[in-house]
Amino acid sequence: MKTINSEHHLDLTKEDEKVYSTLNLGPTHPATHGIFQNVLTMNGETIVSAEQTIGYIHRAFEKIAERRPYYQITTLTDRLNYCSSPLNNIGWHLAVEKLLGVETNKRIDYMRIIVMELARISDHLICNSVIGVDSGALTGFVYLFEEREKIYEIYEELCGARLTTNLGVVGGFDRDFSPIAIQKIRDLMNGLPKVLHEFENLLMRNRIFMDRTINVGAISADRALNYGFSGPCLRAAGVDYDVRVQEPYSSYNDFDFIVPIGQNGDTYDRFCVRQTELWESIKLVTNALDNLPEGKFNTEVPAFFMPPKEDVYSKMEPLISHFKMVMGEIDVPAKEIYKAVEGANGELGFYVVADGGRAPYRLHFRRPGFIYYQAFPEMITGASLSDAILTMSSMNVIAGELDA
Amino acid sequence: MEYSILLQELKNKFENSILSVDETADIFTITIAVEAVKEMITFLKEQHNFIFLTDLCGIHYPEEDKELGVIYHLHNLVANKRIRLKTFVTKENPQVESLVSVFSGANWMERETFDFYGIDFVGHPNLIRILNVEYMDYYPMRKEYPLEDATRSDKDDRFFGR
Repeated sequence: MKTINSEHHLDLTKEDEKVYSTLNLGPTHPATHGIFQNVLTMNGETIVSAEQTIGYIHRAFEKIAERRPYYQITTLTDRLNYCSSPLNNIGWHLAVEKLLGVETNKRIDYMRIIVMELARISDHLICNSVIGVDSGALTGFVYLFEEREKIYEIYEELCGARLTTNLGVVGGFDRDFSPIAIQKIRDLMNGLPKVLHEFENLLMRNRIFMDRTINVGAISADRALNYGFSGPCLRAAGVDYDVRVQEPYSSYNDFDFIVPIGQNGDTYDRFCVRQTELWESIKLVTNALDNLPEGKFNTEVPAFFMPPKEDVYSKMEPLISHFKMVMGEIDVPAKEIYKAVEGANGELGFYVVADGGRAPYRLHFRRPGFIYYQAFPEMITGASLSDAILTMSSMNVIAGELDA
Repeated sequence: MEYSILLQELKNKFENSILSVDETADIFTITIAVEAVKEMITFLKEQHNFIFLTDLCGIHYPEEDKELGVIYHLHNLVANKRIRLKTFVTKENPQVESLVSVFSGANWMERETFDFYGIDFVGHPNLIRILNVEYMDYYPMRKEYPLEDATRSDKDDRFFGR
């Protein structure tokens, strides 16, 4: 039997002779859930340092936007956080409305809340079930994916598309909610609580899941603020900043909802904050649908309002405005605005500098994921590789948003 | 906290650095001299609770003397007040002090601004391109690089899978 040479053993623990190994996590790795790379320096199973490389799917949205008419930029926002496209679309429409000084009626606001909260639900469902997958529980993911599918069917009913929705127009919606869409939303809201309970039973008090997530990838409130965290990741660290409450838009102040916060800012807290937000979103959708006021589904914003098709074919004025809108010959005031909405993973901001021309002079997207993902190395240094993967999935980093 | 009081305090402390004030914008906007950027933002953060750097981005006005600009959005989460700071530099000397020591989150935002506008953030620990490839030798968001002409006809669609 071979005995361990004690001298040799001592040598190995000497710091200066230690050889670290480099591990490439990504760019195409199932655990990164998107196209971005992490170069990890590993000491055995422990991470010594990490460096991210992003930009693999950079599509120059801000440059493209400088030539596109305002209504055509909606399709660019689809591709930011593609897990909750309608939220980005409506955020952009709200930004343009702020630029134009347009007020929408309550019906439009409530319809927007329904769509935005549905998008938030679908985003949180994905993120939380993926945390389950990365900790070894695939079951919950499969259950929740069925619910996400139902939300995508609702999108389909509302606008015809599923992933890159291009939903709504500046000033409201291009069509009203159909009875089928309303029925589908009602069915989902009736069925979702049961599934969510089942999912929570599976994970929330699960010993294995808790051991894998509590104190993993923790960040203090101070550091999170310093890094510019927003959304569930910031709230998990204990800061109750939610744009919906702080700067209410789209009549969010008509509704009563809770902004959940965590304590430790770890993976488990992020999971729980999202889970609670799901319940709040269900409440919001149900409330908005029950109290949906009568009214028009579109504000007639000059040069942004698409006239009904039959009028375009038969009347002069609608034909002219249709033509002007489609060609993008639109007058906007020359000023600059910043409009923020609460995206599914944080404060989604639009900084628009308009010079009065058909396209924005400068458009900057504040992408929450881009800003808080830079804290990742700090959060995983000293952790094990499997913890790093859990931390990443709990941060809800979406490659499309990261790279713009 | 009122903006007028804040402005008075800023004027007392940085009297020569405040170039213009725009109170009609959606967010209270101050244009400041580039030398005062870091000092004023540190002052706003430490004395006036602007603890959240919402956004940092660049802009290019080719007709101006000082062509390149950096725009900061700060947020006081307690009083729920936002403030926008702007500073402008020339294309020849695009040096702006880095905020990384004040806000860790400024790191990538400054790298992005450097990547697209070529603004040199002095004191940045790792000022390299972030979204574009390393060997790119121009700053694509500047206005001298227009987008491709949409009406050009010399491209063969077959090569692009169309």
